[in-house]
Amino acid sequence: MCQSHHARRYHGGMTKINVEEAVGTRLAHDITEIRPGEFKGPSFRRGHKVEEQDVCRLMRLGKRHLYTLDLKADQIHEDDAVVELATALAGPGITFGRAPSEGKLQLQAAYTGLLKINTQALVAFNLISDVMCAAMHDNVPVSQGQIVAGTRAIPLVIERQVLNEAVALARKQAPIFSVKAYHLKNARLVITGNEVYEGLIEDRFEAIVKDKLAAFGASLRETVMLPDDPELIANTVRRFSAADTDMIITTGGMSVDPDDMTRHGIRRAGVDTLHYGAAVLPGAMFQLAYKGTMPIVGIPACGLYHQITIFDLVLPRLLAGEILDNRDLARFAVGGLCLDCPTCRYPACPMGKTGC
Amino acid sequence: MDDFNTLLEGSARAHGHLCPGQVVGVRMAMLGCRLIGLDTPRRLPQIKKLIVYVEIDRCATDAISYVTGVKLGRRSLKFVDNGIMAATFVNLESGKAFRIVSTESSRDLAHVYAPDIDDVRLQQLDGYKNMPDDVLFSVMPVWVDVPVHDMPGPSRFKVRCDECGAMVRDKKEVFLNERVLCRPCAHGTYFRPLEPGARLKIA
Repeated sequence: MCQSHHARRYHGGMTKINVEEAVGTRLAHDITEIRPGEFKGPSFRRGHKVEEQDVCRLMRLGKRHLYTLDLKADQIHEDDAVVELATALAGPGITFGRAPSEGKLQLQAAYTGLLKINTQALVAFNLISDVMCAAMHDNVPVSQGQIVAGTRAIPLVIERQVLNEAVALARKQAPIFSVKAYHLKNARLVITGNEVYEGLIEDRFEAIVKDKLAAFGASLRETVMLPDDPELIANTVRRFSAADTDMIITTGGMSVDPDDMTRHGIRRAGVDTLHYGAAVLPGAMFQLAYKGTMPIVGIPACGLYHQITIFDLVLPRLLAGEILDNRDLARFAVGGLCLDCPTCRYPACPMGKTGC
Repeated sequence: MDDFNTLLEGSARAHGHLCPGQVVGVRMAMLGCRLIGLDTPRRLPQIKKLIVYVEIDRCATDAISYVTGVKLGRRSLKFVDNGIMAATFVNLESGKAFRIVSTESSRDLAHVYAPDIDDVRLQQLDGYKNMPDDVLFSVMPVWVDVPVHDMPGPSRFKVRCDECGAMVRDKKEVFLNERVLCRPCAHGTYFRPLEPGARLKIA
């Protein structure tokens, strides 16, 4: 039984009338029309005065009866209730449409950034009978205007007490939805590897990193190519740290070969924390270090071959100023496996949608 | 709605002078209102149904505001700083909306529609009056999703800036590095505070 015990109560305030007898009355709610594969939306709006010519159309839509409303003082229509719900759910960076449609309001990103969801509070919100809110995943990049969630009161009429409970929960746990603006702008890149430094192979990392940063409004200020020499790597990391740098990115030298010196160089530069290894494929040999609040990211060689790797999962969070640790890297485990589809649909796929 | 000449006269008076931009603005506003089904936009109840997005802050914008009655302070006039002589007229009730762009080609065709006038400015003034709509404008039906925080009416959202303490209304705050900030604190200001000495000089 998917119907809540509360939902059956709300016949109070509504009177059922035959559709043929509805001429002259006003609709109590939007009437949805579905034409498979073609259209789904309101065919008639709440408040529409039913005319003679509407009766046939309503019957074609399967309506034999309509509700008229006679709301009591403690009853709220779904369209009014959903505005209160959306207002309570929408934290900084979240807005919503000007009017409900079919009793729903969609929450949207007010600007481009990283979507943050208080998931525990959202679950608690959905445990309250007669309200719901469904959302995108937490920690995903969103663009201005993008729909991130939808909410509604489930019955046509909701009790004031229930609505107040949901609104109070959302306010107490606020923000349930918010968008973090991207905070870090200036990145510097260290490309390591004797083979690249000596010109035996051409570097392709710089262009990849540049494009991925640009997607979030950040830019690459400087690129340095170095041999597999931990002292040179350390010196460059120190120099970058002293400059106007928000994030240092290193590429190559992350695996277990004896020549792979990058993380040794980073450690030698004097970092505060260093996490090596992440529960993501591709990207197991990822490294994330911090010098103060400045992240130093080590992209393993998989970043050259795979379109989407761990770097794509952490980059928006780092640019939004989040400080990640080994627990965050471990949380990627569920949803951290790229399925290597013939046509990549990321971010519209399970990759990176952490389930733990 | 009044006729074109009456509206143009009033618009020029309100703006301060008669110019080609006034002609373009008045005609754009009349066409926009007609397309979205409003004939008395300055009066109730239609005044509540209209929002206009203007994309340039030049003469035509004042004419549009005059003809339609939309105002920044009433939140019915929205300024999108694109530098394009264009405006979008939105009927909030029906959802109908049209974006109208003043064509660049109309400038070159002004002499065709005012053949007896030599002065370029006067030629444009008269030519723009005589041109058909489809020469003066390009028109596109559009959908405008006016979010709740941009709607007219009392301010529903307000939050205090964690940096400077300013009260930020209508969802214009930015969540940046774990703090809720006003846009000046988040993105920088268009002004620079004067040094104390300089302030004294002005005083």
